[in-house]
Amino acid sequence: MTELALLLSLTVLAMVAVAGTLATRRALLWRIGGAAKVDWAAGLLALPRRYLVDVHHIVGRDAYAARMHALAAGGLIVGSALALLGLVPALGDIRLFWWLTALAFAAAFAGGAMVGRRRYPRRPARLSGGRFQLLPFLLAAYAGGGFLVALDASLGGALWPLGCAGLAFAAVGGLGLALQIDRGPMRHAFAGAAHLVAHPRPGRFAGERATALAPLALDTPRLGAAMPEDFAFNRLIGFDACIQCGRCEVACPAFAAGQPLNPKRLIQDLAASLQPHASNATYAGSPYPNARPVAGVGGPGLPIVGIGAMIHPDTLWSCTTCRACVEECPMMIEHVDAIIDLRRFQTLELGAVPPRAALPLMELRYADEPSGRPLAARTDFAAGLPLPLMATRGGADILLWLGEGAYELRYGRTLRALVSLLHKAKVDFAVLGAEERDCGDLARRLGDEAGFQRLARANIETLSRYRFARILTADPHALHALRNEYKDFGGAYEVVHHTAFLDELAATGRLELGALSEARVTYHDPCYLGRYNGEVDAPRRLLDRLGIARLEMERSGKRSMCCGGGGGAPVSDIEGERRIPDIRMAQAMATGAGIVAVACPQCSAMLEGVTGERPAVHDIAELVLMAVERADAAPARTAEGVA
Amino acid sequence: MRIAVLLSAGRHPVSGRPAPVPVELQALGLALGLSDEVTGLHAGPDIGPLRDALGHGLPRLIHLASEAEDDPVPGLAAALASGGFDLVLAGRAGQGGEDSGLLPYALARALGLPIVADAVALAPGAAPGTLIVEQALARGARRRLVIRLPAVVTVHPAAPAPAPFAFAAARRGIVDVQAGPSAAEPARPASEERPYRPRPKLIARAGAGASAAERLKAATESASGGGRLLVAPSPEEAAGEILQHLRALGLLPGR
Ligand code: SF4
Ligand code: SF4
Repeated sequence: MTELALLLSLTVLAMVAVAGTLATRRALLWRIGGAAKVDWAAGLLALPRRYLVDVHHIVGRDAYAARMHALAAGGLIVGSALALLGLVPALGDIRLFWWLTALAFAAAFAGGAMVGRRRYPRRPARLSGGRFQLLPFLLAAYAGGGFLVALDASLGGALWPLGCAGLAFAAVGGLGLALQIDRGPMRHAFAGAAHLVAHPRPGRFAGERATALAPLALDTPRLGAAMPEDFAFNRLIGFDACIQCGRCEVACPAFAAGQPLNPKRLIQDLAASLQPHASNATYAGSPYPNARPVAGVGGPGLPIVGIGAMIHPDTLWSCTTCRACVEECPMMIEHVDAIIDLRRFQTLELGAVPPRAALPLMELRYADEPSGRPLAARTDFAAGLPLPLMATRGGADILLWLGEGAYELRYGRTLRALVSLLHKAKVDFAVLGAEERDCGDLARRLGDEAGFQRLARANIETLSRYRFARILTADPHALHALRNEYKDFGGAYEVVHHTAFLDELAATGRLELGALSEARVTYHDPCYLGRYNGEVDAPRRLLDRLGIARLEMERSGKRSMCCGGGGGAPVSDIEGERRIPDIRMAQAMATGAGIVAVACPQCSAMLEGVTGERPAVHDIAELVLMAVERADAAPARTAEGVA
Repeated sequence: MRIAVLLSAGRHPVSGRPAPVPVELQALGLALGLSDEVTGLHAGPDIGPLRDALGHGLPRLIHLASEAEDDPVPGLAAALASGGFDLVLAGRAGQGGEDSGLLPYALARALGLPIVADAVALAPGAAPGTLIVEQALARGARRRLVIRLPAVVTVHPAAPAPAPFAFAAARRGIVDVQAGPSAAEPARPASEERPYRPRPKLIARAGAGASAAERLKAATESASGGGRLLVAPSPEEAAGEILQHLRALGLLPGR
């Protein structure tokens, strides 16, 4: 072992010591967080898999970033570990060992160069500047220096002048990196690992969608999150895990519309709030668009939201809860949970909902319907169509949940199409009629957990009085609430979306479909169906049965873009520069489709609200009905025609 | 300033479920804009969802427990008289009960206080013990009055919306149940209950045989009410005008 190699090993040891101290100091801050149930053993065991499979599945969507990260992180860890092992005399004297070490550092150097190429000469807007711009130099210095020292050692000290220079570089770069561990870019390494172990939604790694909001015990002394300590400790770890890659920012519809929300900045503000005497001044990424001024100070024991704090309330209320940020985040951070926790405090404790959201919540409280309309009028859309009532039937194979869309004239047409199809396929179904209350989705997303829980319990009580095998609904928000969120209150149902159900009817031959030839259709995935429930195939399969040309938008499936209708955003109505549905409609138009197929009352309302020359908007049920009527009109294909 | 806000047992106009009366919550909003010393007052058998007023910022609610048939006026009057309130706020009418809007007047009479109707904004007056009341008049007109306290003021639905509901505040607020003196309500005239139907708009009729233009004019002009606007008339002049108007409507025997 050369002396230089020994010094390199000691440098790495020093680095580890510095990084360990700083990381421990940071990790101690997590203790202010609330308790959470974490299966540590399972989490630790699953860590390699969660990292190598789940994280890399997301990182791999950007091939360049994936290679860059594999080289930089892999090289850095292997190189440093080998250099440390070199302190073991038996290994340190093997030349081949140092040659391997040099190879690892060379890989790390290549990774560092890729980091640099991505950030220089021009840094993409989604990446943060500041300390992050230093990163490629530190990486290159440490990895390059380590490489030279190891190379020299593998040649028995033949290159000692180069080795000396290398050692100097390695020491500067290595300590620089270690010093970044508590507040700089390197924090994501240890916080990210801890986050994977103690993740608040472990189901995400077990193939579940795991998207239901956690219920809030309404007798907790403080409802929702006001200060950093109101978050569970593993949520705080999650905030610290953010690497500021900006993928969430690119995906966020509110950011694109120029509303004052940037999920990356939000997570950074939350992470910054952990530090006593915190300020948001060191953040060097894109700001909240049209940011409302805030003091930008906080810390443990201090409020997070408010003009005098870190985050402006308008930022919270801009979110459509579309989960696009969560879907894109390589660190598996749960932005929506954080936003809802913050909203819960605003709504339940302060009554600080946006002015226009107060009325729907009030109407829900006293009339179970956000616009205060009579529950009995929910079935008015069906005038003239037979609509069997549960109250008179006592039970049916299918319980058709109508949802809020039933009151809208436009969406009433969709529901009429669906009901006609059910009759045609001779489905045994019934509706609750005046007994159906709002499902509580709006209340819950606006932070009114008390309102949601009341509605959920009332609906569960109603449902318990009837016999049915499945609940069918055309509203993905109701579907999500009934299927995933009522469980916590004792309501377990098999819930099926109308697209999956119609697909099933078509597959089993209960609906005969004609061809809607020459129609060019693009399908807009509802967030609450695709991302929340993973149902992206059935609607497409169904559309393909219609004999149409199906075109895909650039963002589709689980990575689709929101229409702007979720999370109470339409009633919160936070001002931006553009409207989200206009952006989405432009994406649909770019495919050249003549029809945008939708599968949700909110999407239908938002996209129908787009003005000017644009494709027609039709719910899939309407298209299916058209196809069925086509089939009926072609007598040769009907049963009677053959007879 | 000590303020009492009267809260009545309302019903949601569509669902028919017990609910606070929106205009009374607006009264609460105006009260909280003036002072922190606000007390809610309800006389009746049940507090029900009036508890929710606590969620709209009311710090304390007094429930004068009484039977449903009891007349609330004596109990409320006694509580208001002993409470030492500078200002008593009420909605212009309840919602879901008799909705006659007479209770504040009956209370004002029982307490010997002046009453001002239909406030949309309140502010402390320049002189101590006075209050500036902005009053809603027909068709969006506003009138500003300065009144001497104590007084009873009713609030108009055009007043600003109340603070949104906060569940935790409702949970924390205090409800103080006191026995209200029971007082049988004076026998009310026999009445009949019917589902509500909006009253058809009264349209002034043009004389028989009038031209289309005249009929149109009559139909559209009725919306503007008619009548005469007198600015600062002398009391005699004003009284004369009112008598004349009532006579024209056939409500007073002719001279
Ligand atoms: S929250 Fe996730 S996606 Fe957003 S910047 Fe941080 S690591 Fe990237
Ligand atoms: S859920 Fe959607 S709107 Fe909300 S922050 Fe994430 S991407 Fe933006």
